Amino acid sequence: MAHDREVLRMIWEGQIGICFQADSEEIVGIRPEPFYLMVSRLSYLPLVTDKVRKYFTRYIAAEHQDGAAWFDFNGTPLRLHYPIGVLYDLLHPDEDSTPWSITIHFSKFPEEKLVKLNTKELLESHYLSCLKEADVLKHRGLVISAMQKKDHNQLWLGLINDKFDQFWAVNRRLMEPYSDQESFKNIPIRFYYDDDFTYMQKLITPLSQSGQKKNLADLMAELSTPVRKAVGFRTHGIELHEETQLQWMSEHLSYPDNFLHLSVDYKNE
Amino acid sequence: MTDTEEAQATASTSTTTTTPTEKDAAKICVLLNATGNVPIIKKRTWTVDPNKTVSWIQKFIHKFLKLDANEQIFLYVNQTFAPAPDQIIKNLYECHGTNGKLVLYYCKNQAWG
Repeated sequence: MAHDREVLRMIWEGQIGICFQADSEEIVGIRPEPFYLMVSRLSYLPLVTDKVRKYFTRYIAAEHQDGAAWFDFNGTPLRLHYPIGVLYDLLHPDEDSTPWSITIHFSKFPEEKLVKLNTKELLESHYLSCLKEADVLKHRGLVISAMQKKDHNQLWLGLINDKFDQFWAVNRRLMEPYSDQESFKNIPIRFYYDDDFTYMQKLITPLSQSGQKKNLADLMAELSTPVRKAVGFRTHGIELHEETQLQWMSEHLSYPDNFLHLSVDYKNE
Repeated sequence: MTDTEEAQATASTSTTTTTPTEKDAAKICVLLNATGNVPIIKKRTWTVDPNKTVSWIQKFIHKFLKLDANEQIFLYVNQTFAPAPDQIIKNLYECHGTNGKLVLYYCKNQAWG
C-alpha cells in the first residue's frame, strides 16, 4: 500500500505544550518561573530532561542538581519509557488548549513505582526492544533482524533529533507487509483504559478468518464481553472512526516504537 | 511462583497438552532457560500469577540464584527481545506464548540486546 505521507507528517508534527514546575522542596531562595516547552508527542520525557534541568539548575539545592530526574502530574509519577503523547492522552483527556502542567524532581526517585529508564542510553535500548517485539508480531522478526546496527541508529537518531526523512527512510521497511503478503501477521497494539498506566496486549490479526481486512468496528466486537462493550478508540488525541482499517492504522498511526497505543472507551451493559 | 510438580507430572505422561488444575487455572506456565554464564535453575517450569511483572521474575531469579547485589539478571522472550521491567506476564503470554507456555531466557549479560 502506498504510504499516505501527509498522515505520517501530521502524526510526526503533533506537539504538546508543557509547563514544567520545580519541586518546591528542592528550591533554594527565589521561586523560579515555570519553564515552557513545545514537545513532540512522539518523544520521551528523558529526552527533554537536559533542557529543563539546565533551566532549573541555578534554583535547586546543589546536592540535588545531578540527581535522577522524574516527573509527576497531580502526584502521579509519569512513566519515563512511555511516549509523551500516550501519557498526555491518558492523564489529560479533555480537549484543552492550556499547557500541561507537570512537576520535575531531581531527588527521591520513586523506584518502587517507576522503572528507572532515565538516561538516553537506557531509553534507546528499551526503544529497540519495542521495535523488535513489534517486528516479531508483524513479520516474525525477520525484517528487524535483517537490518544492521546503523539502521537501528538511524531510527533512534531520526526520532531524537526530529528528522522525519531520516527516520522514515528506515521505518518504511518495518511498516511494509513481508514479501508477497498483503498485511502484517499480527498488529502490534497496546490498549489503555482510563488513566491507568497498565496496558493490555493480545494477538490482533489484521484480517478476519474469511480474509477481509478488519476495521475498528471488528476490533470493538473482539474486545467486548457480554457485560462490557468497547465503544471508542483514541490515539494521538484523535477519536478514530470505526471504519478505519487495522492494517492502515498500524502503518500510519503507530508511534515510532511501531506499536499502536490506543485508549479504549468501555461502556458497561 | 508456585511449584508445578503436578503439572510437570501431567506433562511427562500426556506429552504436550497439560490440563492445569483448578487452582492454577488462571496462572501462566513459564519455562525458564539459562543462557550464557549464568547458573542453571534445575526446575524449569513454573506457574506465575498473570499480573506479575518482568521485574518480579528478575528479582525471583536473582534471589533464587543468590546472586550478589551488583549482579543483574536480563530476561528475554523467545531469544528475541527484552521486555520492559513493568510489562506483565499476561501480555507476554497472550502475544508470545507457544504451546501453553511462555518461554523466557535469563542471563547475567545482555544477550540479544
